[in-house]
Amino acid sequence: MSDKQIMHLDLDTFYVSVERKMDSRLENRPLLVGGTSDRGVVAACSYETRGYGVHSGMSMKLARQLCPEAVVIRGNAGTYSKHSDEVTEIIKQETPLFEKSSIDEFYADLSGMDRFYGCYKLATELRKKVIKETGLPISFGLSTNKVVSKIATGEAKPNNQLMINHGEEKGFMAPLSVKKIPQVGDKTYQTLRHLGVKRIHTIQEMPEEMLTNVLGKNGSMIWRRAQGLDNRPVVAFNERKSISTERTFDRDTIDVKKLNSILIAMTENLAFQLRRGDKLTGCINVKIKYSDFNTYTKQMRIPYCSADHILIPHILELFEKLYNRRLLIRLIGIRFSHIVNGHYQINLFDDNETAINLYTALDKIREKYGDRTVMRAAGMEAKTIGRMLNPFNGLPPVVLAHRKQ
Amino acid sequence: MKFIVSSSYLQKHLQLLGGVINNNNTLPILDNFLLELTGSELKVSASDMETTIVSKLEVESEDDGSIALPAKLLLDTLKTFPEQPLTFHAVGTMITVSHDKGKSEIACAAAEEFPKAVTISEPSSTTIMGDTLATAVNKTIFAAGNDDLRPVMSGVFFQFTSDSLTFVATDAHKLVRYKREDIAASETAEFIMPKKPLNLLKAMLQGSESEVLVEYNDSNAQFSFDGTTIICRLIDGKYPNYEAVIPKENPNKLTISRTQLLNSVRRVSIFSNKTTHQIRLKMAGAELNISAEDLDYSNKADERLTCDYQGDDMQIGFNSRFLIEMLNNLTCDDVSLEMSLPNRAGILTPVDGLDEGENVTMLVMPVMLNQ
Repeated sequence: MSDKQIMHLDLDTFYVSVERKMDSRLENRPLLVGGTSDRGVVAACSYETRGYGVHSGMSMKLARQLCPEAVVIRGNAGTYSKHSDEVTEIIKQETPLFEKSSIDEFYADLSGMDRFYGCYKLATELRKKVIKETGLPISFGLSTNKVVSKIATGEAKPNNQLMINHGEEKGFMAPLSVKKIPQVGDKTYQTLRHLGVKRIHTIQEMPEEMLTNVLGKNGSMIWRRAQGLDNRPVVAFNERKSISTERTFDRDTIDVKKLNSILIAMTENLAFQLRRGDKLTGCINVKIKYSDFNTYTKQMRIPYCSADHILIPHILELFEKLYNRRLLIRLIGIRFSHIVNGHYQINLFDDNETAINLYTALDKIREKYGDRTVMRAAGMEAKTIGRMLNPFNGLPPVVLAHRKQ
Repeated sequence: MKFIVSSSYLQKHLQLLGGVINNNNTLPILDNFLLELTGSELKVSASDMETTIVSKLEVESEDDGSIALPAKLLLDTLKTFPEQPLTFHAVGTMITVSHDKGKSEIACAAAEEFPKAVTISEPSSTTIMGDTLATAVNKTIFAAGNDDLRPVMSGVFFQFTSDSLTFVATDAHKLVRYKREDIAASETAEFIMPKKPLNLLKAMLQGSESEVLVEYNDSNAQFSFDGTTIICRLIDGKYPNYEAVIPKENPNKLTISRTQLLNSVRRVSIFSNKTTHQIRLKMAGAELNISAEDLDYSNKADERLTCDYQGDDMQIGFNSRFLIEMLNNLTCDDVSLEMSLPNRAGILTPVDGLDEGENVTMLVMPVMLNQ
């Protein structure tokens, strides 16, 4: 295992870089990309704004208060995917095996390449090529496994590169904050700080059991990562385990009719995605976030299925059971999980041929002219259900730039 | 109350009765057998409130009396005895079982606590040969559903008319209709039998030559034969109109050896998706192509069989589990599969091996393939 060479590539402030590439006036100016409504969230922010305490995931309102001179751009997911695809294409040409783990992040397995070329040299040239051909800044980390490479990229940024040689992983990670370990978020960081753990070095010295006692199952993984151990392979094709969609309202609502209509539109859309990918779902989930930010979800197992007329009543029933607080709703969403390959088993009594033929015809129209061309009248009110490309193509989902909170 | 009975004779009968008793009863008294002695006749009952089964046994006795005896304890003891006479002697709610090595004492419950079996008021009736009933149950019961939300489909539908008896089971994906045109009922009647008593009947009547008296009204049915009576509550509800879903026009007809098809489907289905078990049948000319694919592991298989096929070239997807169950249940040499369209039911029927007046129709719903 030790002769593996894993490279992690990350496009620096990707959305910001794309915006700057398209409009050079934005160079060297503080820039925020994200939702522009009151409920918008910062999807990306330029390095200039970070000095003011702005970070991605923060509410746009707060970010604007912190950095009033920043230019705010709404962003366009389509443009970003296009630029991301350009980068993907270059990486595809230059590396033997790569994994696209999100719109702006890649892992590449360069093991064995040093026999011909030298991994570091190859990686450096790849980075140069991306910068030259796309004009987007990119950083990489190169080491023996995914986790160390990712941390190395984080250290290399912005627009730089870093190689950690075999045997030096532990030493490289030791002085860093535990927050740098992927999987350590705010919660875990808090827990670790309460234990007096600040540097990765401390975790490296701890026995594994101690961390497992505090953090449970994750503790063991975090401990291993802190040691610079990670056996995850680079996988070119990642099967989606679930598909979901959600919607935050600009103004909280209690209008059940409207909510039902949105749920119907969402279900119809996701069910079409299932059928398009020859998939069936075995578990459906409804999520509600109330105006007080409390989030509730309810799920149920169903016989494997991809038919609207079965899924919609189940979703509405779940929603009815879940929505019992008589409070304004901020967000609703649905999710299909337990996805398997297969086709819908036709029912002798509930289905009739006309309905089945109708679905087939509707799906053909959607396939040809787009997934919002035909829909149920009940779902038409819901105007902006996220359009989706085929979610089962093995690529990571495109995160919308203006995710709301 | 005192009686003497042969251990193996008692065990043989109680074993079958024990099938009624649930493992965890809400009513503790239902864990017992009810013994009622009148002279040399011992009536043993077991019940789960839905189904009650009563057997009459010949014993050596001159007493009368009744008691409720813990079923599991008795069955477990009986299993260990070699054939020998056992003496049961009840005093109050204690029963002493004496055998040639010693004796055991069992604490029992009062017979009065045991729920009374329902008596069927104003029953209609008909008689069927035991083996015929067992065959009818055997042919249909596997197709019945398990869905608690649709209780009517969890049983077998009995349809008696003056010229035939029909038995139907379906879980909405597959359907079996077993028809006997050589037997008739005195009156037309329809009722849905739950699975549990049918399984008991199947076990008891396999190969039996005796006549079974079937009595029924709107809520209960009773089957009496050879000193045994099974009374059960019927499933309430309206059975779906199954006749309407059997396609009439089926221009595409495949005839093939049953074992050959079964073996191929079995083999190919190993390579199908582990959750959905879907396979694809492709008919063209005199060739049947069966294929399956598990995309998760990139496993796939396909097989070619020669067959007799008349109709348009077509492909149709099925859940291989259903096909296997159905082909397994048949006993004929050749089967025919009639189809019309890839989204309409396929009809599986045996070509040979049927008795006079016997008629079996199996329906299997396809899965929706993308063309």
